[in-house]
Amino acid sequence: MKSLSNWRLVVIILSSIILLNGCGFKDIDKRFFVVSIGVDLAKNSSKKYLVSLKFAIPKASRDSPTEFEIVSEKADSISEAVRIIKTKVDKEVDFSHAKVIVVGEEVVKEKGNAGIYYWFTRRRDIQAIAWVAIGKPTALEVLKVKPKSEFIPSNALFLSLGKDGSETPYVISEFLFDFKYRLIERGIDPMLPIIEAKKDILEINKVGLFNKSYQKLALNPEETKIVSFLRKREEKSANKITKGKIVVVIDTHKVKTKYKIHTPKGKTPYIKVNVSLEGTLEEATRRVPNEKLSSYEKAAEKTLNKEIRNVLVKIQKANLDPIGFGLRYRSRHFNNDDWEEWKRIYPEIKFKVQTKMQIEDTGLIE
Amino acid sequence: MPSNNVQTIRDHLLNMLQQPEDMVFKENHSKEKYMEALYIKSICDEAILHDNILKPFFEITGPEEFLNFLQSNPKVSEYEDEQKALEELLRGVAILFYQDFVFLFDCKMDRNNAVMDTTVETTIQGPQAGFSESLPVNLGLIRQRYPSTALMVESSTVGNLSKTRVMILHDTRFTDPDTLKRIKKFLANVDIDMFQSGEQLFDSLRKSNKALFPLMLVTERPDRVAVNLSMGKVILLIHGSSFAVILPTVMKDLMASMEDIYQAYWITKFLKVLRYTAFNVSLILPGLYVAVTSYNPEIFRIQLALSIAGSRTAIPYPSYIEVVLMLFMVELLTEASIRLPKAVGPTATTVGGLILGQAAAEAGLVSNIMIVIVSFVAISNFVVPINAFSFTIRVLKYFVLLISSLFGLVGVVLGFFLVLAYMVKLDSFGEPFLTLVQSKPGENSNK
Repeated sequence: MKSLSNWRLVVIILSSIILLNGCGFKDIDKRFFVVSIGVDLAKNSSKKYLVSLKFAIPKASRDSPTEFEIVSEKADSISEAVRIIKTKVDKEVDFSHAKVIVVGEEVVKEKGNAGIYYWFTRRRDIQAIAWVAIGKPTALEVLKVKPKSEFIPSNALFLSLGKDGSETPYVISEFLFDFKYRLIERGIDPMLPIIEAKKDILEINKVGLFNKSYQKLALNPEETKIVSFLRKREEKSANKITKGKIVVVIDTHKVKTKYKIHTPKGKTPYIKVNVSLEGTLEEATRRVPNEKLSSYEKAAEKTLNKEIRNVLVKIQKANLDPIGFGLRYRSRHFNNDDWEEWKRIYPEIKFKVQTKMQIEDTGLIE
Repeated sequence: MPSNNVQTIRDHLLNMLQQPEDMVFKENHSKEKYMEALYIKSICDEAILHDNILKPFFEITGPEEFLNFLQSNPKVSEYEDEQKALEELLRGVAILFYQDFVFLFDCKMDRNNAVMDTTVETTIQGPQAGFSESLPVNLGLIRQRYPSTALMVESSTVGNLSKTRVMILHDTRFTDPDTLKRIKKFLANVDIDMFQSGEQLFDSLRKSNKALFPLMLVTERPDRVAVNLSMGKVILLIHGSSFAVILPTVMKDLMASMEDIYQAYWITKFLKVLRYTAFNVSLILPGLYVAVTSYNPEIFRIQLALSIAGSRTAIPYPSYIEVVLMLFMVELLTEASIRLPKAVGPTATTVGGLILGQAAAEAGLVSNIMIVIVSFVAISNFVVPINAFSFTIRVLKYFVLLISSLFGLVGVVLGFFLVLAYMVKLDSFGEPFLTLVQSKPGENSNK
C-alpha cells in the first residue's frame, strides 16, 4: 500500500513537471533560421525602419548550395517588424543562428538611433557572439550579396568577420556583447566594420568610429590597419615603406603594441605608444642586400611612427576613443572625478609613438 | 550374512528409490565374502567401480583384509545417515553393503569436462581457454593458475530442488572477512528451485528482486578468476556451469577487460578512456539528439544545423518518435542476431543494418543523421566489455531519452544525474558500486 502511494506521488510530480517545459518542443525542421539581420531607414514611408531578415532554406540534398530568402518589413521598431515578419513565414522564426547584424550606413550616421542596438542584446535568443557591422550603401544590399564561394547563406560574412576564414588587419570585427559594452562604458567607444556590397563581392576594409550614439568618423583602409595594430588583434599585414626612390613592402608576422599614459605634474600629459613589428621583405623595386636591411628598418620605423601618430591624432580630434585610453586611465586612477579629469586631459594629450621594426630577411637566398 | 541393521538400511533405500530403469543392485559372492553394491549406472563410472572395488574383491581373499582395504581407500567414505546417502547416490556415488558396514564409494562420472574456448569475453591476446562445465575440472583450472596455500575452497548447495553444488573460493590473505560473511549468508538465503547457472543470482542480489545493474560478474575466463582472487574477491563455481561468479563486483570490474593487463600501459589507459566515453555516448546520445534538435538547435554550428534541418525536412514525425523508431529497430537487430544460428546471424545483421537503414532514410521515415547516431549508439554499446553491463546501458538510454524528450537539455543532465544517483546508491556486498580507484594485488598484501 505504501509503495503504491509512492508511485502515485511520482506520477503526480512527473506529470506536473511536464507542464513546465519552458521554451518548448519545436523540431529543427519546423524552425526558420535567421542567419543575418539588417536594419535600414525606411524610405518613402511614414514608418522609421526597414528591418530585413535573411533566412536560410535548408536543402535535403547536399548537391545544391543552400538557398536563402530575405523578408523585409517597415515598422517603427524592430520588435514590431519582427512580429509582422513572423506572419509572413510558415515556420517559427529562430534567431539562435543570427550571427551577423548589419546596420545601414544611414542609421548609424543619424543621431537618436542608439535604442535599436540594445534590442539585440535584450533578446535572449540572439547570441551575444553575433557580429555587428555597418552596411554600405544599405544593410539590405549587403544581405542580398551572394558570393559565389558561399555554400551556406551569409557564410562569407561569418568567415571574413570571424578569424576562421581570411585573416587581415583591415577587418576589425565587433561582437555584439563588446559593442554593447563599448556603448555603455565610459572611456572606450564603439567601432564597427563597414561592409560594402559590390555586386558579388563583399568588401570589408574600413571601420566606423562611434561616440555613444552615432558614427562620427570613418577611417580609410590604411588607418583601419593602424587601429588594428593598436588593438593587437591581427599580426599579418603589409606595410609600404618609401626610402628615397626605393619602395619596399614589409610583410609582418608579429606586431606587439604597448602604451602607457604619463601625467607628469605641471607638464602636458602624453601617451607613450610602443609598437614592435617583425617581418620579412616581400617586395622591393630594387635589389636589397642583407647588410642594408637595418637602414630600411630605420625608414620603416620613421614612416610608421608618423602614420600611427596621425591616426591617433585624427581620432583624438574627433574626441573619440576606440582604443580605450580613457578606460586605461580610469583603471589606474582612483579619485572620484577621474572621468571628468580624463575628459579634460584627452583633447590636449600628446602621443609619443616609438616603433621598432625588425626585418628578418629579404625573403631571398643570396 | 549382513546384519539386521544393514539389511533394514538396504531395504529402506531400495524402497525410496522406486526402482528406476538405470538403477543397479548387485550381489557379489566369493568363497569367503559377500557384498552388495547399489548405484545408478547412468551417472556412475562403472569402470572405476570395477577397477577399484570388484577386482580387489575377488583378488583379496581374506574378509578382514578386504574390509581394511575398503576402509583405507580414499574414495570410500562411511555411511552417515539415510538422507545423505540418498543424495550422494543421486550424484553418482555407489553404496556398498559389506558385512556390518555400509560404505559410500565415489565413482561419479564426470561428463562435460572438456575445456571450452572463450566466446563471450574474447581477447586478442592472452589465454584463450575458458572453463568447462565440470566442477572439479574448473577447480583444477583455477588451482593451476593460482597455486597458493591460502586459497580456501568451501562447498555448499543452492537450489531447493536442484541442490546444485557451489564452491566458494577465496584467498584468505586478501579477502575481507566481513564481505565473505555477507556472501555466505546471502547464499544460504537464496530461494531458487532450479539453480543452473550463476546468472540466476542477479535478481536475488537485490532485496526487491528487481535488479537493473549487475552487481556480480559472471565470467568464463579462468585468468580473470585468478586475477580477481588475488584482488581479494570471492569466487563462486557452480556445478554444471562453465561460468564462474565473481563477488563483490563494482563498476570498474564491469568496465575492465582481461586485455587490460595484456597490453602496454598507455594502450590500457587509452582503452579505458575509450570504454568510459562509449558508456556515456551510449547512455546520453539519443537523448542529446532529441534535446538539441528540438529544444536548443543553437548548440550546433550553423552549417550542421542547416544540414540536420535539411535531412529532416521530409520526416513526418517529431524527433523523439524518429529516435525511438530507429532504436527499436536496432534492438530487434541485436536480439535477432543473438538468437539466430551462427550461420544466419551475419546475414540478418547485414540485411537489417544496411538495407533497412538505407531504406528507412530513403522512405523519409528517419533522417540520415539519425542513422549515424543510432549506429554510433549501438557500436559504443558493444565496446563495454562485460555483456551484462552493456544490457543495462541498453535499457538505461531509454530512460535518459524519455526525460530529455520532456525537458530538453536540462533533461539530459537530469537523466544522467538520476542514473548517477542510482549508481551511487548501489553496493555489492558492502562495496560501493562506484568504487573507481583501482585495487591492485600489491595494495592488499601490504596491509
